[in-house]
Amino acid sequence: MNGTSAPAAVPPQPLHITPAEVISEFSHHHPSVARINNGGFGCCPSSLISFQRQIQMQWLRQPDEFFFNQIQPGMLRSRNVIKDLINTDHVDEVSIVDNASTAVSIVLQHMAWGFAEGRFHPGDATVMFHCAYGSVKKSVEAYFVRAGGSVIEVPLPFPLNSEDEIVQEFRQALEKAKQSNRRVRLAIFDHVTCMPSVVIPVKELVTICREAGVDHIFIDGAHGIGCVDVDMKQIGADFYTSNLHKWMFCPPSAAFLYCRRSSESSSLHHLVVTHEYGNGLARESTWIGTRDYSAQLVVPEVLEFVNRFEGGIDGIKRRNHDGVVEMGMMLAKAWGTHLGCPPHMCSSMVMVGLPACLGVLSDEHTWKLRTYLRDKFGVEVSIYYRPPKDGEVGPLTGYTRISYQVYNKVDDYYKFRDAINQLVHDAFTCASLPNS
Amino acid sequence: MAAVNGTSAADANSQIHKKPRLYADPSPPLFTPSDILYEFSHHDPTVARINNGSFGSCPSSVISAQNELQIQWLRQPDDFYFNQLQPKILQSRTIIKDLINADHVDEVSIVDNATTAAAIVLQQIAWGFAEGKFNHGDAAVMLHYAYGAVKKSVEAYVTRAGGYVIEVPLPFPVNSVDEIVHEFRQALQRGKQNGRRVRLAVIDHVTSMPTVVIPVKELVAICREEGVDQVFVDAAHGIGCVDIDMKQIGADFYTSNLHKWYFCPPSVAFLYCKRSINNSDLHHPVVSHEYGNGLAIESGWIGTRDYSAQLVVPKVLEFINRFEGGINGIKKRNHECVVEMGQMLVEAWGTHLGCPPEMCSSMVMVGLPACLGISSDHDALNLRTCLREKFGVEVPIYYRSPKDGEDGGVTGYARISYHVYNKVDDYYKFRDAINQLVHNAVTCASLPIS
Repeated sequence: MNGTSAPAAVPPQPLHITPAEVISEFSHHHPSVARINNGGFGCCPSSLISFQRQIQMQWLRQPDEFFFNQIQPGMLRSRNVIKDLINTDHVDEVSIVDNASTAVSIVLQHMAWGFAEGRFHPGDATVMFHCAYGSVKKSVEAYFVRAGGSVIEVPLPFPLNSEDEIVQEFRQALEKAKQSNRRVRLAIFDHVTCMPSVVIPVKELVTICREAGVDHIFIDGAHGIGCVDVDMKQIGADFYTSNLHKWMFCPPSAAFLYCRRSSESSSLHHLVVTHEYGNGLARESTWIGTRDYSAQLVVPEVLEFVNRFEGGIDGIKRRNHDGVVEMGMMLAKAWGTHLGCPPHMCSSMVMVGLPACLGVLSDEHTWKLRTYLRDKFGVEVSIYYRPPKDGEVGPLTGYTRISYQVYNKVDDYYKFRDAINQLVHDAFTCASLPNS
Repeated sequence: MAAVNGTSAADANSQIHKKPRLYADPSPPLFTPSDILYEFSHHDPTVARINNGSFGSCPSSVISAQNELQIQWLRQPDDFYFNQLQPKILQSRTIIKDLINADHVDEVSIVDNATTAAAIVLQQIAWGFAEGKFNHGDAAVMLHYAYGAVKKSVEAYVTRAGGYVIEVPLPFPVNSVDEIVHEFRQALQRGKQNGRRVRLAVIDHVTSMPTVVIPVKELVAICREEGVDQVFVDAAHGIGCVDIDMKQIGADFYTSNLHKWYFCPPSVAFLYCKRSINNSDLHHPVVSHEYGNGLAIESGWIGTRDYSAQLVVPKVLEFINRFEGGINGIKKRNHECVVEMGQMLVEAWGTHLGCPPEMCSSMVMVGLPACLGISSDHDALNLRTCLREKFGVEVPIYYRSPKDGEDGGVTGYARISYHVYNKVDDYYKFRDAINQLVHNAVTCASLPIS
């Protein structure tokens, strides 16, 4: 003012990402789809896609130089970011792999060698939940059972009212193993189950496993990081895996496998063997042949993105949880149904009962209904069939799993509410849907 | 076929058989040199990139097509997963089936790279031992020059499971295929000693370092004569580099990368598995809900990841068909040029090629002046780094240890590649760099350690 040279005032940059910026970051999402299934395949914001493209172009520009000078430091940076996020001390406990399915196969192959090399005996058991993710069940079949092991399945009560119901069933399964004189070599369970989705009391189950002398505890936290609190020291498992592309905004695909330091952690190997074989799983995983590693190299930038939100990843988790519970309750009220579990057992996903009159009576019905919702109503959401138990009168057999992520809007859930109301109004039943 | 535009029916027929067509559009024009420059304009312009053999290359138009697919997934992944992914993978597999002359599309699985394919084949060997189908000490045979990852995979799955591994020593430099055939026969005899069965032979189609073209058809025939259970051809440098015909070659398993010499983005490869009872037990090591539905289907879904590189194969075929003679034309010109450049270099340096031209593909081993003093693998790596950082030349160097009685000979070879984006200047730059080092009396011992 008045000829002085005071610097011009610069409007302060917004402290946090603004709603308009969030819309822009996800503007590549299909605009006419109510995308309430983040739990399916995750999401990735534009700025990270751009960053990933840059890395892809760096590789294509001069791949040899990238291979010799960039990849290893880049992977180490990503692993260090993850190490801090999951509260573990040693970066060599953190390996980056494509996805939780890969991590599961790595651990399960290690178990298969246990049988083949005589450390385990035929009939030794693994304990897992009945509702374990499809690929996990198949991996157990492909590696553990094939090598001579047996499986004890823990039924997951659903709908449920408290963690105690889960803990109870789990204790019984371990007891069953004890009764039949079977050594439990591996307990494998979800942190957040996929379908039906509930948060499992992992810390308590780990304690029970330790008391019962279970050899190895492996937690499938596919929906872990960015969805629930993931703290390796707190949880205390031997192995823990989580996808970063589901709830942590990484492009497809990147996941970590945490392996607690032990006498045998050095004998885990990646399934795809390269010249790095024998240098430890973390190092082996950084190079499994020529491929695009860009999704695994953007983890530092992912953290920067997450920290643009108020409260960082914790703020996002909290708001997602509150948002999905609120929307779940809105839907349950609109349809006269109920949630599949109490809110505190939900993460950023919740199971909401569907009106019984829709007649969801099989897994096939869930696929058909899901397709119908996508094609006719522009709603993308997962559907679950819950078979009735003996003696039950009029239980709900159909549930939907809704997700809430930063890009979701209330309108997405209204659209779903209205679609179901329309179906009910039209006396629609799943039986009437054509075969896909 | 009816005559078109006044041409005779015979002419029309010969036009139609010139290039395989998988789409109804009229054929786009052939690439001009400036088109090609543009397609590879993202390559570092300051680098003489004469190492296509290591990591391959991908043209801009294919990268764009891949980006579109990536965005389609991100836009609505559920819809893509349920409606697009499997049909598109099937389309890619079908194209590959035709390219390699396989009988059935279910013989063709798409995987990330040849290294993954090796793990698939070798893991089933490990199960063979674990499940008592094979006896402890049964053998696997592989070439001494097998790729490092493959050797480690054999250790991880065969040796660990109780198998006995025989390496076939190969002469290098090599003068004729007979030398290779002779060593291979001898190795098989060793394999069968003491009542051992040879459960698997792993044979490169084109070895990596040092690179030569292996007479695979002949070696497969020998394997059949000698009762080898399974033959696995590792053709990481196969498609786009040498002629590959599954029926001609006759192997049980054959893998090749498409991102090396076939212009695909990183990364995509195929694993061919001849239909037979033995192969029903092949599984992808990453298990998904598709487990048990056959390797091809299992490989089509190994959890959430970016499959876009596997889906651009149709686009890549379009790209290739804009070159004169398609992939065959490219192979032929690459081969002729790399031999010409190789001969230019050996003449300039007073050295020799590592093998006769007819045993080269689109890569050739060129002897380096002995005065550079390459006397270890470390020296080779240090020299490579020096060439990259000081001269802007990207080329892998191979150390060939002297045999007993040899003295003062060539111990270092460069593996030069030639691909559609290369120029004569790239090789002059390399020639001059080496001449400079020789002139300055530089030896590997004096180079900084990389």
